[in-house]
Amino acid sequence: MDESFEEFKTSFSYGSRSDLSFKFLKHLSDEDAAGFLSRMLEQVGEAYDTGDVTGIINVAYEAQVSGYAPDPDEPYHYTYEDRPFAPLRKPLSESRVGLLTSSGHFVAGDDPEPFGVPDMSQQEAHDRIQEFLREAAVLSAIPRDTAEEDLVVRHGGYDTRSALRDPNVTFPRDRLVELEQSGRIGELAATLYSFPGATAQGRVKRSAKEWAAQLAADEVDVLLLVPV
Amino acid sequence: MSVGHVAREIEAAGIPTVSVYVQAFRHVSEAMGVPRTVVTRHPMGRTLGAPGDVERQHEVIGAALDLLESAQAGGALVELEAPYRPGSLSG
Repeated sequence: MDESFEEFKTSFSYGSRSDLSFKFLKHLSDEDAAGFLSRMLEQVGEAYDTGDVTGIINVAYEAQVSGYAPDPDEPYHYTYEDRPFAPLRKPLSESRVGLLTSSGHFVAGDDPEPFGVPDMSQQEAHDRIQEFLREAAVLSAIPRDTAEEDLVVRHGGYDTRSALRDPNVTFPRDRLVELEQSGRIGELAATLYSFPGATAQGRVKRSAKEWAAQLAADEVDVLLLVPV
Repeated sequence: MSVGHVAREIEAAGIPTVSVYVQAFRHVSEAMGVPRTVVTRHPMGRTLGAPGDVERQHEVIGAALDLLESAQAGGALVELEAPYRPGSLSG
């Protein structure tokens, strides 16, 4: 049976053509998705001649922003009116800076082993995304001096290719070490943290209270958070 | 959304936080009342910039540190204008 355009769009989201950079296609109307593909091909033709990929990047970026735009008919599950605010305690040049990301990094040999599975691959994390979304997330402690080859990333919700090439795109440890060396920050904390952000939201809300206590115990003065 | 919960809880515990969101999820930060947000015009999964783009990664973290210093109330948000650019890594 012929594939419909709807099936084609949906296949990029954990289907036969799964691509975590383009899973948003299923959220676009047929007209918008067709427009996106057509503009993309036009930009590919341009790039043949110019070697300039700026147009390709812009078309993909704009489509991604539209694809994740909030649905006016579907109110947010988690909307808050208050805006928590803790003032800075001391100058950043004297502060201990912490890092916590939802990028799914951990240290080789300290695998959180989701669902009790040892050495789960990126592909398996991708295939089991629905289970991740029901489970509590494990926060991995990452010593700041972890060798780059011992830093592992696994996350079923986003395209981890960039993070594999350079962990700093989602876990900017090296940049923070440089800022410590330049004196912009007092120091980077000894232990950094990461968890795979595709997880049960009610549970992460509860876990966050424990994580806050851990950061207080680490005497972190300010925290940089990187969602993916 | 995960980081929105984490930012709110940690800020409520008295530790100032700053979060870096890509534009596609800016509305999540706004709906959840994230204390301080830097928004980048980068694709999902490339939050701080391209692999190997050390200069851009520093611009983003620099903006986050500046916002920690300048914000006077929760919900502070700064959008960085620079579009994504490919990195210099080969392979």
